[in-house]
Amino acid sequence: MIALLLAATAAAPAGLPPGPIEFSAQDMRFELKDRRVLYLDGDVHLKRGDLAVVSDHAIANLAAEKPKPKPPPKGKKKKQAATPMAAGQEIEKFTVDGNVHVTRGTRTADGDHGVVDMPAQTMVLTGTDTVPPVLHDGKETLEGDRILLHTDSDDVDVQKPRLVLHRAIKSGKPSEKPEKTAEPATPMRVDAEHLVLHNQERLARFTEDVVVHRGDAVMRSPKMDAHYDKDGELTVLNMRGGVDMRQGDRRATGKTADYDAKARVMTLLGDPKLYDRGDVLAGDRIEVALDSSEVRVQKGKAHLRPELHREETASPATGGARTRGALENEAHP
Amino acid sequence: MLVVIALTGASAIACGKQNTQAFPNVSASEAANAPDLSLRGVAFARTADGRITARGTAQHLDYRRAGGLLNADVTAMTLVPQAGSQLATFGLLNLSAPHVKGELQEKSGNAWGGVKVAATRGDRGATEAVEYRGELITSEKPVQLSGPGYVMHGNGMVMQADGSFMRLTHGVTGTLHEAVEAAK
Repeated sequence: MIALLLAATAAAPAGLPPGPIEFSAQDMRFELKDRRVLYLDGDVHLKRGDLAVVSDHAIANLAAEKPKPKPPPKGKKKKQAATPMAAGQEIEKFTVDGNVHVTRGTRTADGDHGVVDMPAQTMVLTGTDTVPPVLHDGKETLEGDRILLHTDSDDVDVQKPRLVLHRAIKSGKPSEKPEKTAEPATPMRVDAEHLVLHNQERLARFTEDVVVHRGDAVMRSPKMDAHYDKDGELTVLNMRGGVDMRQGDRRATGKTADYDAKARVMTLLGDPKLYDRGDVLAGDRIEVALDSSEVRVQKGKAHLRPELHREETASPATGGARTRGALENEAHP
Repeated sequence: MLVVIALTGASAIACGKQNTQAFPNVSASEAANAPDLSLRGVAFARTADGRITARGTAQHLDYRRAGGLLNADVTAMTLVPQAGSQLATFGLLNLSAPHVKGELQEKSGNAWGGVKVAATRGDRGATEAVEYRGELITSEKPVQLSGPGYVMHGNGMVMQADGSFMRLTHGVTGTLHEAVEAAK
């Protein structure tokens, strides 16, 4: 999702060009007593630049008339406003309700309620108690409690994001023959309290209770940065502030962790430790291959308890056995 | 607009007798349909509480006493909103219509042939025809509105005669200019 969102940015303009908002609806009403409000009802369409919004209803709030500026004091240079308000008729805010559908470039979003703030150049999209707002790009989806779209920069700010990174791991171009040994890409699901997409930096920043699910592996940390290449493919995940990773019976911790999406290897640093059914492995650096479950340790110190593994078979087909084999080869107890 | 024309028509009739013309050589049926009063080059003004609330002109105005029927051609009128009223925001309102027909007793009427309104503030409105009934002005024809920061098109219109409420119906399109933050 993020990959596509960021990839779309490369082709999209940095922000919406200034200009009028086009609208259409079945009905429009205007009441003189609240003369700064226009009500649009029935199949409402709003369009500005490449941003299009469709909804059942919309309320347009017109900007208040600005008081006439006081004449500048003598001797001081007069400052000019960026754009003068013409009789207070400029649109300041649109509130859209009911089956809200947003389109911008390759990106679409759906929700139940939205607020387009013109001066702030933002759109906030929310859902109902049962249906959250959703951001789509192709088959990728990003859900959250609240999605804030920055129309001037293409950045996205999501509260309680829930998303699946289908394209997070590149599995080869369609034209390329897949390698026989290549495993299918495993989607990543990321939950967090907050997500901000910085499109210019090709960065997705998750904060607060970040949880990454990948196959049977679950990684947690207070914050995580996801970096993307120019094609929108995930390159690196940087988890910071204390990392806890679990995969089956295995648990790994460290102050930081970096995930190489191409190699599919998680590298733990900062007093990293690996716990595996009673065995404890520490070192300067621990690398965990998520697909094969192999572990590499630099300057490792292991505390092994073989008595806990007597009943286990030594079949190399099991992840646990492979892990322990790697430990014996790589660790330096 | 119509109500003002209707209300002011009577005063125009009362003060315009010097402009009446005779109807020589007319049949009985024509005479029956002939207006009781026919005026050319009418100018009128409506006053309330000692101030002019509307003034206007009509190239031709006929009045039939029975039913209070009023026909006017090439009408133009300027409404002067009371200071502090909601309409005062728009400034003076200039209304025009090639043809106006009204029934004073029924408080109803029509204007057609290209009805236009223009406000001092810059607001403009145009439609082919409007109907006035009760306190509502409606149009089943396309309506064009424009003004500072907006352009709108509707395929119908309903509005209160005092301008307190307006609705564009049967499909509306338009553009609104957005507000931008002024430079600090």
